[in-house]
Amino acid sequence: MTVPFDPAFLLSNLGPLGQGLARTLGISAIGTAGALAAGVLLGALSALRVPVVRQLIRAYVAVFRNTPLLVQIFFLYFALPEIGIELGAFTVGWLSLLLWGGAYNAENLRAGYEAVDPTYVEACRALGFSRLAAFRRVVLPLGTRTALPSVTNTLISVFKNSSFMIAIGYPELTDAAVDLVSVTFRAFEVFIAIGVVYLALVWLLSLAAGLVERRFAIPGGH
Amino acid sequence: MPSWVAPVAGYLAGGLLTTLALAAVSIVVSVVLGTVLGALLVLPSRATRLAVRCYVEIWRGLPIIVTLFFIFFVLPVVGLRFDTFVAAAIGLCLWGSSNVAEVVRGAVQSVPHGQADAAAALGFPWHGRMRHVVFPQAVRRALPPLVGLVVNLTQQTSLAAVIGVLDLLQAAQRSIERLTLSSGVTHAVPILGAVLVVYFVICLPLTSLSRRLERSLRQG
Repeated sequence: MTVPFDPAFLLSNLGPLGQGLARTLGISAIGTAGALAAGVLLGALSALRVPVVRQLIRAYVAVFRNTPLLVQIFFLYFALPEIGIELGAFTVGWLSLLLWGGAYNAENLRAGYEAVDPTYVEACRALGFSRLAAFRRVVLPLGTRTALPSVTNTLISVFKNSSFMIAIGYPELTDAAVDLVSVTFRAFEVFIAIGVVYLALVWLLSLAAGLVERRFAIPGGH
Repeated sequence: MPSWVAPVAGYLAGGLLTTLALAAVSIVVSVVLGTVLGALLVLPSRATRLAVRCYVEIWRGLPIIVTLFFIFFVLPVVGLRFDTFVAAAIGLCLWGSSNVAEVVRGAVQSVPHGQADAAAALGFPWHGRMRHVVFPQAVRRALPPLVGLVVNLTQQTSLAAVIGVLDLLQAAQRSIERLTLSSGVTHAVPILGAVLVVYFVICLPLTSLSRRLERSLRQG
């Protein structure tokens, strides 16, 4: 059976796909930025061993890393209204990505901070730095750079996982594509097109991540 | 216990079996296929490397949901029709095997070059160097990320619900719909909460195993 691939069809339907892409980029941007901020803050609080807060963070990280993101999304969207918390699809979209990515980044960055040689901190303390100053001036810059590859990996996953929002009907790129297919039955063109778009963006992001990692690599490190 | 609980629990248990079956198939195929592909990525042949690299970059780069839709909606256009379970298994295996391939390649290449050189100097042929020197060290390095991938694959099986596989999540979703229709109450908090707990109980021990393996690796 020959497959008719019709580029003209795609061109005439750029509108809905473009809108979907814009929404994908929107929730991904909020989710990524939030996941990064949450990761830095929570990772620092865990590495500084603030009592109680540290245990709470560990529980949060364990829950969000050991359950599927899709089930988390369902819980936020379908279960929370039962206890009076109604969140729209857009809010659940960026919030679920933020919570999920934040948990992974908290773990990535905690590992990075704890990988910094403890003798550096001892040296700082001997020189009269406070614990916080030693963290901010030495552990934070070194640990963040060590954690950078795993952090950028998580952020790229956040972007890819924005496609999960089709499950709650948020009209991002994947949802827009399925919508278009259900009206036009042109599955071939539409899925090839969004596949190419996702791949191009993921490769672009990986390229950018590689540049950032090289730029901030610890000199003399392996 | 309210009367709705027992039938829902039974229904969810059936879904859990499907989830576990899907996870088992995806994990086994991904590890076997991924190890072969990863080994091909460290072969000296440039053409093989390029072909495997294409496979890895495509299936690792695409969101799994897009891959699943592609298999489920596009392949029937060219006459390849799968039922939802098989379609989900294929999608998960494509993603899983390309990730395993990357882990294996990374582990083999992280074994210091001097080790293989020293073995060569001692007269080991290529396959002897690989089997006795590089491979045993690479396995130890690959193990923690591989266990992490197993956790990840287990969680990603929930995506099968999106194309209609009656897995744990889909069973939960249908139970909620049924309860809403029959009694007007969704009971979504306890039902989806239970789904979260089940995944948590399965994944937490594996996650800590991965961390323990990593720690023992660092301490040599």
